[in-house]
Amino acid sequence: MIDFQSGYILRPVNPAFIYLSLFSALLLNLLPMGNQVWVPDWLIICIVFWNIHQHRYVGVSIAFALGLIMDVHNSDLLGLHAFSYSLVAYLAVSWHRRILALTVSSQAMHLAPIFLLTSLFPMLVHWLLSGTAYWWALTAILQALVEAMLWPLATRILLSPQRRPLDVDHNRPI
Amino acid sequence: MLVDFRFKALDPIRSNINWLLRPLEHVMMLPRNAFEATSEYFTTRGTLDKENQEMRVRQAELSLLANQSELLLVENQNLRQLMDLQNHVSYKTLPVEILFNPPNPISQRIVINRGSNDGIMIGNPIANDSGILGQVVRIYDHSAEVSLLEDRNFAVPVQVARNGLRAAVFGAGRGNPLELRYLPVASDLEVGDILITSGIDGVYPPGFAVAAISRIERSADKNSSNVFCVPIAPVNRYRQALALLYDPQWDAKPPTINTAPGITPSNTPGRRQTRARGMQ
Repeated sequence: MIDFQSGYILRPVNPAFIYLSLFSALLLNLLPMGNQVWVPDWLIICIVFWNIHQHRYVGVSIAFALGLIMDVHNSDLLGLHAFSYSLVAYLAVSWHRRILALTVSSQAMHLAPIFLLTSLFPMLVHWLLSGTAYWWALTAILQALVEAMLWPLATRILLSPQRRPLDVDHNRPI
Repeated sequence: MLVDFRFKALDPIRSNINWLLRPLEHVMMLPRNAFEATSEYFTTRGTLDKENQEMRVRQAELSLLANQSELLLVENQNLRQLMDLQNHVSYKTLPVEILFNPPNPISQRIVINRGSNDGIMIGNPIANDSGILGQVVRIYDHSAEVSLLEDRNFAVPVQVARNGLRAAVFGAGRGNPLELRYLPVASDLEVGDILITSGIDGVYPPGFAVAAISRIERSADKNSSNVFCVPIAPVNRYRQALALLYDPQWDAKPPTINTAPGITPSNTPGRRQTRARGMQ
């Protein structure tokens, strides 16, 4: 797979690394950070990343399962995160060719609406179900912005195993 | 989502996922607990001395109060028997620890470390030393979720401590002050009044502080007043709380549950007896 930023051919991905990164993002989400609006949803960054870069390994079904787990942890309606994660995974898969051709910062700007969708989804669903909108929940926009700003960092970390050179020259001649 | 909202039918799935998730949550709480433990370890001797002094004074005050309250309790009980009033229902308390509050933009909930295996039931009130925190809304084997007073449409029947006026406090959603509803405009309320539980619902034991009135907006033309209050018990300061194992169904039980013929319904102390007498 070609890295559009540098033009180099990336090494093949290790599926174990994908699942390990998803698992550690889940663990990061379980950290007791209190009920703060700015705390980013690490899992959704990871899911979107792998859906864009390796959609053959990570698809909508894994996003759905992880969403169910987050529903139980957040004591939300069962299926709320599952639905929004799968929706976002679908969007990411269908946009992955366009987004991969952009630079990392414009990728972040293109993905901000996707993150915004997950952040505001609970509010929309509660609005539909109970008929009253919680305008307080609009502060979750902040979470989406933080997630978009973390995107370059996520790209750097999650692509680093594939960017390693094949043979390391210890004494490279000038 | 709709199935869960309307029918609450997915609770087995939820509890199974929670059973799997609990160890992970426990592991991820370790860094925070370790951090708190180290910062506690490095508190200075002066701080400890000061804290100790304050504790001692507080303990003296409280033991004085406890002695008096014992006397008052006996006296009250005797007077109640004299006047043939219903006795107060006694309840047990269970110390619980607040584990974390789950991130949720809409509601404010906390998760506690006791569940149905420890005798907690749905509807049990949770309080700390200053007042009511909330109520158990979902229960697992070894943990439970508690809805806080701030949650939307969370209602607690209260009484103004100063003059005994009855009303109900409603949560108005996260980030909004509590509201005191169903009161006429001319009611005797002042900013700073303490609201205590009245106990008429059979869920909350009477006499626990709930909130203090912070703002009153009276509108004479609508003959209504908007009364806003703030909860008394601080949620995020302490990790310890008490679950009050107060049977919510205590009063509402019909008097003839599984009574064999010949055995009259037992008048256990505390059970409301008027209905039973009417049946006999």
